[in-house]
Amino acid sequence: MKKVMVEHLKYRYPGTEKLALDDVSFEVEEGELIGIVGRNLSGKSTLAQAIVGLVPHFYRGAYGGKVIVDGIEVLHSTVSDISRKAGIVFQNPFTQVTGSKLTVYEEVAFGLENLGVPRSEMMERIDEALTLLGIYDFRHANPFDLSGGQMQRMAIASIIAMRPEVIILDEPTSQLDPQGTEEVFLAVQRLSREGMTVLLIEHKLEKVARYADKVLWLDEGKVMAYDSPSKVFSRDDLEEHGLAAPIYTQICKALKLKSPDGETYPVTLEGAYEVLKRWN
Amino acid sequence: MKSISLYVDRQSFLHRIDPISKIYYIVAAILVPILYPSLTVAFAVMVISLILLFLGKVIRQTLSVYGFVFLVLITVLIIQTLFYPGNETPVYRIGQVVLYREGFFYALTISFRVINIVTSFLILVFTTRSADLVESLVRKGLSPRFGYVIASVFQIVPEMMSAMGRITDAQRSRGMETEGKLSVRMKAFLPLIGPVVLSSLLNVKERALALEVRGFNAKGKKTFLNEEKNFLAPTAVQWSLLAVILIAIIWRIIQ
Ligand SMILES: Nc1ncnc2c1ncn2[C@@H]1O[C@H](COP(=O)(O)OP(=O)(O)OP(=O)(O)O)[C@@H](O)[C@H]1O
Ligand SMILES: [Mg+2]
Repeated sequence: MKKVMVEHLKYRYPGTEKLALDDVSFEVEEGELIGIVGRNLSGKSTLAQAIVGLVPHFYRGAYGGKVIVDGIEVLHSTVSDISRKAGIVFQNPFTQVTGSKLTVYEEVAFGLENLGVPRSEMMERIDEALTLLGIYDFRHANPFDLSGGQMQRMAIASIIAMRPEVIILDEPTSQLDPQGTEEVFLAVQRLSREGMTVLLIEHKLEKVARYADKVLWLDEGKVMAYDSPSKVFSRDDLEEHGLAAPIYTQICKALKLKSPDGETYPVTLEGAYEVLKRWN
Repeated sequence: MKSISLYVDRQSFLHRIDPISKIYYIVAAILVPILYPSLTVAFAVMVISLILLFLGKVIRQTLSVYGFVFLVLITVLIIQTLFYPGNETPVYRIGQVVLYREGFFYALTISFRVINIVTSFLILVFTTRSADLVESLVRKGLSPRFGYVIASVFQIVPEMMSAMGRITDAQRSRGMETEGKLSVRMKAFLPLIGPVVLSSLLNVKERALALEVRGFNAKGKKTFLNEEKNFLAPTAVQWSLLAVILIAIIWRIIQ
């Protein structure tokens, strides 16, 4: 079943001339993990916010085309209604803390209170989300006392507890140290294994190659490619558009070592290892 | 984690009274002495407030507040005893200076009222968790947005102060003087406040987005994670306080 359908989406922020999204179309199936890549200012965050309805409902601006999330059209709903369908996690873990709650447990409850979820169900959902993200032991801690990685996992738990069909993560690790990054990636992987539909915006293409089923490549608000990581990262025009292929791909390309399919280059460490072994 | 909450965690019956009743008490403690403008009533209500504060076991924490209040009131007492316009009856003379009876009692009434008002607020602030107060108000129909603003001030202000601390440390480690004479400190303050204000302004938009996607503006009825706390007979306490206020008003009207 299709969870996200974007059809000919065009969007311009108020007070700007340039289209931030220019005729973007793609579809996401239930349970897929989609990596969204592209150089700076290519429109990744704008696209993410268009799926949860912040574009256009929060920013306003000129909007054309359609975004449909689990059957509802974003343009004709409100951000709070869409929040039951699609959740988003931002870069900065700090600014996602509401600042009105004294414990992690209460913090995760915030969205559920707003949506009017009954109390007993609320606690069940919070326990589940905290356990899934591995922060159940910190449930009584003050949100501001957590480390960056823990705080970001709390932000993810806060969204997961709202039980959306789709979760979008906008560079969730770009402000974290290596340990926090690792914690968050493991958590994302676990969500995906649980059957969640995940859209992950990420600059580190090695990570995308390793986790994503498909890659959506944006440049100047347009879709450059929407395909498997190996197909996208084997393209020759990546560098021209400000992207560097995963290091494994670069090595194999330099050695002219293609994957067994004869068309693409390996994009992961394992893939590179396989072809290098055979080459030896 | 620092908190600016003044709440003192104690076992006392005042801690078990619901926040709304304490607000009713503040209203009663302010209104009654105004409606019965007599020295005795002002004194009696003040004594009741002080006894309550004492029973709340938080007197010691409030002493610094009283220190400041007394300082102000002593000034008022001196000025009124000397210069109150209704002054007629001299009671004491020190050289050129005459102390008057009317001014003295006028100042005393003011003092009792002020101490009374301060004490009734202290009862609320020192024996109530800020989160409980906000939650009670929202349950009573206060807009959740307004409730959020109040609740977050208690959390975000200490957060900003610790951000300030971090930035001070960073600036100091780069050799900036942040201690010593006032002029030195003022000079250090400006480059300090810039990053703090800027980062909090940037944060506002991001936080607004984050709140929005968590249903902050959802239309329907909200629910609460915490069960309504089991406070000591809230209805009885509230009705009694309301009755006191009403009786005072009626008494005033028929007078
Ligand atoms: N609030 C805004 N108002 C006006 N223009 C904006 C706003 N946010 C983004 N833009 C513009 O929209 C375009 C796309 O920006 P966007 O933030 O979506 O890119 P991005 O791919 O997420 O970049 P990055 O990798 O730096 O996060 C850019 O030209 C940017 O300048
Ligand atoms: Mg971005």
